[in-house]
Parts: sequence; C-alpha cells; structure tokens
Amino acid sequence: MKSSLASRTLLTLLVALIVLVYGFPYAFLVSTSLKSPQDALAIPPTLLPQQLSLENYANIGEHPTVQRSFGNSAIIALLSTVITIALAVPAAYAVARYGAWAGKAFLFVVLITRLIPPVAVGIPLFVIMRALGLIDTHLGVALAHSTISVPLGIWLLASFMESIPRELEEAARVDGCSRFGALLRIIIPVASGGIAVTAIFVFLASWNEFLFSLLLSSTGVKTAPIAIAEFKTQYSIQWGTMTSLAVLFSFPVIIFSLLMQKRIIAGLTVGAVKG
Amino acid sequence: MKRICLVLAILVLLAPVLVAGAQEPVTLTVLVEQGGLWLQEAAAAQFEAETGHTVEFVNVPYGSVFDRLSAEMATGGSAFDVATIDVVWMSHFAPFAESLDDLFTDEVMDDLFASLVADAQIDGVFIGMPTWANTEIIFYRKDMWENADEMAAFEAEYGYPLAPPATWQEFTDMAQFFTRDNDGDGEIDMYGTDVKGGVADFEWMIAVLQAGSPGVVLDAENNIIIDNDEHVAGLEYYISHHCDMNVAPPNVNEIDWGVAENLFYQSQTAMFRFWGHAYRLTRGDSPIADLVGAAPMIAGPGGIGAIPGPWFNIVPKTSQNKEVALQLVQYLYDHNAMGIEAPLGLAARKSAYAQYADVEGFENLNPLLETLDSPQTIGRPAVADWQQIADEILGPIGSDALTCEHDVAELLAWGRAELEAMGYE
Repeated sequence: MKSSLASRTLLTLLVALIVLVYGFPYAFLVSTSLKSPQDALAIPPTLLPQQLSLENYANIGEHPTVQRSFGNSAIIALLSTVITIALAVPAAYAVARYGAWAGKAFLFVVLITRLIPPVAVGIPLFVIMRALGLIDTHLGVALAHSTISVPLGIWLLASFMESIPRELEEAARVDGCSRFGALLRIIIPVASGGIAVTAIFVFLASWNEFLFSLLLSSTGVKTAPIAIAEFKTQYSIQWGTMTSLAVLFSFPVIIFSLLMQKRIIAGLTVGAVKG
Repeated sequence: MKRICLVLAILVLLAPVLVAGAQEPVTLTVLVEQGGLWLQEAAAAQFEAETGHTVEFVNVPYGSVFDRLSAEMATGGSAFDVATIDVVWMSHFAPFAESLDDLFTDEVMDDLFASLVADAQIDGVFIGMPTWANTEIIFYRKDMWENADEMAAFEAEYGYPLAPPATWQEFTDMAQFFTRDNDGDGEIDMYGTDVKGGVADFEWMIAVLQAGSPGVVLDAENNIIIDNDEHVAGLEYYISHHCDMNVAPPNVNEIDWGVAENLFYQSQTAMFRFWGHAYRLTRGDSPIADLVGAAPMIAGPGGIGAIPGPWFNIVPKTSQNKEVALQLVQYLYDHNAMGIEAPLGLAARKSAYAQYADVEGFENLNPLLETLDSPQTIGRPAVADWQQIADEILGPIGSDALTCEHDVAELLAWGRAELEAMGYE
C-alpha cells in the first residue's frame, strides 16, 4: 500500500516536472509579451514582468499586414485540410480494402515521401505552381501544404479504415449499394472520428508551416508565421511584438486542441490495442 | 474636307508610334526585408505618383531574402523586378543580375563611398546600386564624458583630456577608466565596453582593417592574407579587452549585437562599437535616452577602419519589366536622401548624409560619414563562399582566441590551411 502511494507520488512529481519543462517556454513567451518593450530586453532577463503592460498587444494594430496574415493562415489551413481529406479518404480506403501486399507497399512509399525534407521539394513546387499561375494564391499554398499532409492523412486514416469491420460494407453491397456508395454512406460516417482527428493534424501542420508559405506567397497571401518572423530584422529582434503575436497565433491552436482533446488522443492511440 | 482627311490619315498612321512612345503602367515587385521597406517606401510612393507605375514591396524576414531569391534563381524565373540584397549575397546572385553599368556615371561614383563602388561590382560589372550603407561607429555616454569630475579624474590618471576615443589606446584607456564597482561589493557594475564574441566572425575583422591590412582574409586578387601582421595585431587587440584587461562583460560568447545594444542602453556599459543606425532608434523610455553621443570609429595604426554593411538594389535578368525596373533603381538613387527620414535613418550617397549631418537628431551622421569615407573602411571579399569562410574559419578563430588559451598566430596559420583546402592560394 505504502509502496503504491510512494510510486504514485513519484509518478505525479515526474508528470509535474515534465509539464513544467514543456510548459515553461510557453509561460515565458506569455510573460515576455506582457512586459514593456524596455523590460523585455532586460539583462539578465526577468521571469515575470516588472509591470504588466499591454503595449505590445496594442501595437499590433499598427501592423495591418500582420492582421491580414492571420486571415490568410486560416483560409489556407482550411483549404489544405479539405484537399487533404478529399484525397486521403479514398486512398486510405483503397489501402485498407485492396490486397494486403499492395496496400503495404503503397503505405511504405507514402512513408518515404514523409522522409523527404520539404526544402528539397520547395523549388520543384515553386516551378509547378508558377506554371499553373498559382503563385501568391491561397490555393497554391494550400496545395503545397497538402503535399506534406496527404501522406500523413493516408497513414492515419488507413489505420481507422482497417478497424472498421468489412461486414458493414458487405451488408450495404448486398442491399444494392455500389462500392463508392458504401464508402460514402457507410465507411465515411463510421470513420468520422478518425477523419476529424486527421483533419485536426492536417490543419495544425498547415497553420504552422513556414517554408512553402515563404516560397509561394508574396503580398497577397502571406501567412502569419512569415509575418511574425519579419520582426527579426538584420540588426534586432522586436521581442515584445513577436511574443505578443506568437501568443495570439497560438490561441486558435490551443482552443481547438482543448475542444478536440478526446479525439486527438483517440487518433494517437488508434491501433495501439488490437485483438 | 481634304485637309481634315489628310490630318486624320496622318494621325491614324502615327497612332502606333505615339502609343509605343507612352509607357504602359506596370506593377513592379520589389523583394525587401524590413530595412529595405522602411528606407525606400517613401521614394517609391513618389515614383508611383510621378510615373503612374505601381511598386509592390514583398517584405520577408532577413534570411528569407536569400532563400526566396535563391529559389527564383534556381528555377530560372523571377517574380521580382527589383531585389534589395545584403552585400554578402552579391557574388551569389551575380549571374542572376542585370548589368547596371549605365547607371554608374562618374557623377554617381563620386557621390558614393569608395567601398560601396567596389562592393557594387562583381568581376568588373556593376550589378547593384547601393541603397544604404551602415557601419559601426562609437557610441558613448555624454553625461559621463562631459562630466567635469570625470574629465578631471581621467586627465589626472592618463595625462590627456577625456573626449570620445579616437584611437586604440584611447579606447582601451577609457574602457579601463569607466569599468567600475560602484557599490563596492566586489562585483563590477559597469564595464567600459563589450567584446561581442557572439559575432566574432565579423567583429575582429574590423580591428584587422584598423591595423592597416589591405583587406580582410583575402586581398584584392583573392590571395590569402589572413596570417599577415595586421591580422595578428587586429585579433590581439580584439581579444585584449576580454583576456588582458577585464573591461568587458565576461560572458563574451553570449554577446551579439542585440545583447551589446541592450547592455549599453541599460547603462551596463559606458561605450560600445555599434551600427550607426541605432542612434536614431534610441527608445524614449531608455534610462539614457538623451545621453547618447556618437563618434567616428576608432583608428588603429592604419587609421579609422570599419566594415561597411551596404544593401544594393539589383534587377534580376528575368524581370518582365526590366526597363521600368531600371528606372526605379535610378529613381531610388536620385531620391536616396528620403531614406534618412525613415526609422533606420540611412542612405548610400555622401550628399544624402551631408544634407542631414547638421540637423538636430542626426548627430550620428557625421561619424558615419567620416567612418564610411575612411580609406581603411573596406568591404569583405566578393567571393561566393564568403559565408562559409565566416562560419567555418573566422568564427572558430574568434571563439578560440577569446578562450585566451591559444596563440593568435597559430590560429591564423590554421585559418590559412583551411583557406588553402578551399582552393585559395
């Protein structure tokens, strides 16, 4: 009993330590955003603001480009999510339902595409998008983001699809449903939890992406990560403005993640307990 | 009636010629980082009003200017009609840039600092028009340098009047004089200056030029000079404030430009060498907001010396609006002084700096002018692998020297061997 209590206490302490280690950078980010610009530059830096200041947040109004960039990020992330889900669902369905070896080989190839560093495909993507007239458009950047997200989506969704009993689909076929009809009317509703999880991951990947957004946007569709990075100039870093924007940028992700917490955990553990 | 018909016929015949003569308004896309936007947007707006063309700035983070333009270069196309680039990227982008030889008249070259004229050309071809030039000058505390008690004490100790430092010896003397333990607790509360070990690859090069070297690392013909006497003297002087005198905060490797600036503006150093633009950006809420003085960079045995940090406007060969882009580059040069009113307060032309030099609030411009105009203010070698040299050779030499455990000459001999391995002689 005593040893159980001791081990539980130890575990709690360990968890608290891990939370502290992971949470500290974010807490420091929030703290810095609430310091006055002078306070933010103090040497040595202080953990808490000497005096709470919302000046950094108030200054954001002076940067209309930054405000627009948040809207661009949202549009691109949503578009990328729709494109990825539209492509990944049928691909994952095919992998789950057709031939074991062919499906595995396909998944392996898909995994390999995830191993290619984005910088290696940046220039080819640029050439393709320019040829298509999609430079500096929401669709162009969203398509580029989808090249990263589709393999991830297929992997996640294939696991979900495999866990759906074939009998459900066969029953629908017996009742006269085509294969595509069965996918639409039976598989997709049953896999909606998995699709939601995949959509969350895809949205977050696009929301945070930097390189493709940089290469494929100019003034029209500049995304928030690039707009925030502009406050690091050749000679200085505007810590106050950058941290306040970073806090605002993180809010949608945090709120979204908290709301979808259960689904995310379900997504992470899919296939972990089989049999 | 016949006359009217004749006039109409002539007009119809001349119409294509007249239309061709009037330029269609175009939209020029200009790649910049924040500094380029600040310093050029006012002149660009005036260009738009006068010509009817549109100038659209694409503002990206500093390092992304290189990434973005490199991507465009690799694809053989360009979304940009003009790009404002750092001098260290000039060699890299040279094959991609249109010749600007026609813009560099004698009059233009007379109004530019010699180092900028040199940096503007690669292999004898002008590819970039300077848009602004920055360099390090001396920042000091006026309230300390002009304090009667301090002046008397300094003169009594060193035998000459206290004034902004002009030479290596004066800089060292004053750094020692103002390094103080104000409260007597055994810890230093204010250092005389700093040693920026975080940007060692750049900082010790400045002392090399002040020592009288004809260039840094490589001479004009790209021969190795990294181990000449001036490099030895420069590196020894650079580390002396840390290794021999304890007149700079000891955590040298953590001190880059940003940290050094904060140390000074928070009254933890009495003077420092820093980029001239900072004078105009002094924050109103700094404890020393009205107490900052500016002076030309110090002189070593070779005279006043510094490394300029100019930015250039280039026109990519792939621009679809080359003719108008060249017009814009010329216009930005002609109206270069407008940048001085912008937050960074910088320009490239001597006349632009001279125009504002005596205006209140621009006290940094005369020191900038004098430093930029010195013969020992020389740009970095225009070689494509300069960044590699800085990262893999100059940085490690500076860091190792700042451990105070190495023989400077041996470090520089290692530098020569590394350069030879890269193919230099």
